[in-house]
Amino acid sequence: MATWTDQRVRPAPRAVVPPPSPRPQPARSQPRTVLGLIALGALAVVALWWLDTPSVSGFGDWLTNAGRITGLLAGYAVVILLALMARIPAMERGIGTDRLARWHSMGGRYTVSLVVAHALLITWGYAVTAHTNVASQTATLLTSYPDVLMATVAGGLFVLVGAVSARAARARLRYETWYHLHFYTYLAVALAFSHQFAVGADFMTNLPARLLWSALYAGVAALLVWHRFVTPVRQALRHRLRVAAVHREAPGVVSVHITGRHLDELAAEPGQFFRWRFLTRDLWWSSNPYSLSAPASARLLRITVKDLGDHSAALARLAPGTRVFAEGPYGAFTAARRSRPKVLLLGGGVGITPMRALFETLPAGPGDLTLVYRASRQADVVLRRELDAIAARRGAQLHYLLGSRAKLGYDPLDARRLRALVPDLAAHDVYLCGPDAMTEAAERSLRAAGVPRSRIHAESFQL
Amino acid sequence: MRRAALALVATVVGLVLLLGFKTHSATSTASPPAAVSAPTGSGSSGSGSSRSGSTSSPSGTGSGQSGGTAGQSGTAAGIKVTGSSVGTQYGPVQVQVTVANKKITAVTVLRYPTSTGRDQQINSYAIPVLKSETLSAQNANIDMVSGATYTSLGYIKSLQSALDQAGL
Repeated sequence: MATWTDQRVRPAPRAVVPPPSPRPQPARSQPRTVLGLIALGALAVVALWWLDTPSVSGFGDWLTNAGRITGLLAGYAVVILLALMARIPAMERGIGTDRLARWHSMGGRYTVSLVVAHALLITWGYAVTAHTNVASQTATLLTSYPDVLMATVAGGLFVLVGAVSARAARARLRYETWYHLHFYTYLAVALAFSHQFAVGADFMTNLPARLLWSALYAGVAALLVWHRFVTPVRQALRHRLRVAAVHREAPGVVSVHITGRHLDELAAEPGQFFRWRFLTRDLWWSSNPYSLSAPASARLLRITVKDLGDHSAALARLAPGTRVFAEGPYGAFTAARRSRPKVLLLGGGVGITPMRALFETLPAGPGDLTLVYRASRQADVVLRRELDAIAARRGAQLHYLLGSRAKLGYDPLDARRLRALVPDLAAHDVYLCGPDAMTEAAERSLRAAGVPRSRIHAESFQL
Repeated sequence: MRRAALALVATVVGLVLLLGFKTHSATSTASPPAAVSAPTGSGSSGSGSSRSGSTSSPSGTGSGQSGGTAGQSGTAAGIKVTGSSVGTQYGPVQVQVTVANKKITAVTVLRYPTSTGRDQQINSYAIPVLKSETLSAQNANIDMVSGATYTSLGYIKSLQSALDQAGL
């Protein structure tokens, strides 16, 4: 295995980028369209209950029907949540991986609540209408109703997954532990499916409803299998990615050059990232997201990684020829979001990597493009030579804002200073990427400076 | 937390609205005003789906199945009139009344849903209530039993068809 001292330390070569070939734009879903479709589906589900239910009378009936509605919505929400995580390319490019993950986590909390509400309401409602107490009704449900026991186990799994996904729990768990626990949702969905048809009043005697529901579940399952399992394998066979070289950019920062075949078919846009799996004995089991730090060419992909943990440190020791699996490209942080001639790229920390790629290729005339690089210390600045060269070549502005807020005594990214730095700030599109604290503060400043929310494009790495 | 509270409130309000609308329609079909059911004996078709007026093919809320024999058989104590079998979500309901001197003297429910434990639990309570209400009302304008909506609707339809045949 090549060690650090074996690498000849030489300045990183500038990435040579052939002009992009004209190619049809890949499909991109619009966030509002997708949300609208999800809402329509929910209405259709409620309509199913509405049409199936002639009337509701009495307290027990109220409870039972509330249980039915929450159950139907939970069954629908579960399949939508799975679809959001299916890594469907149009959704990844159009909505963005980070936004999909946020929707999934918010929707997930709501869905777990629906599942719990459904169980409690049905049990209580059945008990009231049958004039028994809740305890014996629970026992009856679990033992003599078909598939309800499985569904109850599924409900417990959902609650478990919800509990370990709460922020307080995730802070204490290793990422891999949480990730593997989360897979139990698949088991929960499988266990709960049959009780919908076996005891669900709206499905029991309604064949068209059962067919449609099954088609929905089958469709999402097919999407999951295709995009999360089949496509990565197909891509691996097609592109045969390997590490070409590892270059040291700065202390603790390396660029990994990856080569392969037919890379243009990936249609990776600047600003996007892949989930990388390096097939060495230590690294093969983990898949980590890194953005491309240069525009993808037909033969080369480049990532630039800072030493922040076990995985990123290990990348410095990769031997050329190591095989790589890359899933993607993912992310909506691309030129497609831009709507104005003037663009500000505001990056900090690890967020500079997608900025570097965008800085080179984002269409803009001289004077219309500005990059602001926020870093705590001079030593934290990476790819400086490349950024300077691009700025000179394109006639773009480049500002390095160095120094921590504590040391400086002020925030270089407050609204007044930003406006002074970037004339005409309110007329810009702003791309924002960096540590969460920085991006949140920067977004507040930008809004205060008059940039409308629709023109602030942020990407978070908190997946 | 604010979003969570908003989601909770919106869900509860939504549920209450949905259930409330359905409760309103329940009271209008279960106890129609006296003017609707004309005392001419042949049942009049009222609002919604709870009256059909004819002895054949009543369409239930779910799968409607009208099988079963509807007929009359007489004994010295009164004429037994069997209503049509009315299909419900959970199974068919069929009512037989014993009529003497233009009064309902007895009610027998020949078929009602008993296929699951839940049906048995509910109907063991609901059927006696429906029967006693029939005897006191002497017609099919009885209240539905809360929690036994489908059975009640099927019962009322089948009862009405029996009464139509009996000329009551």
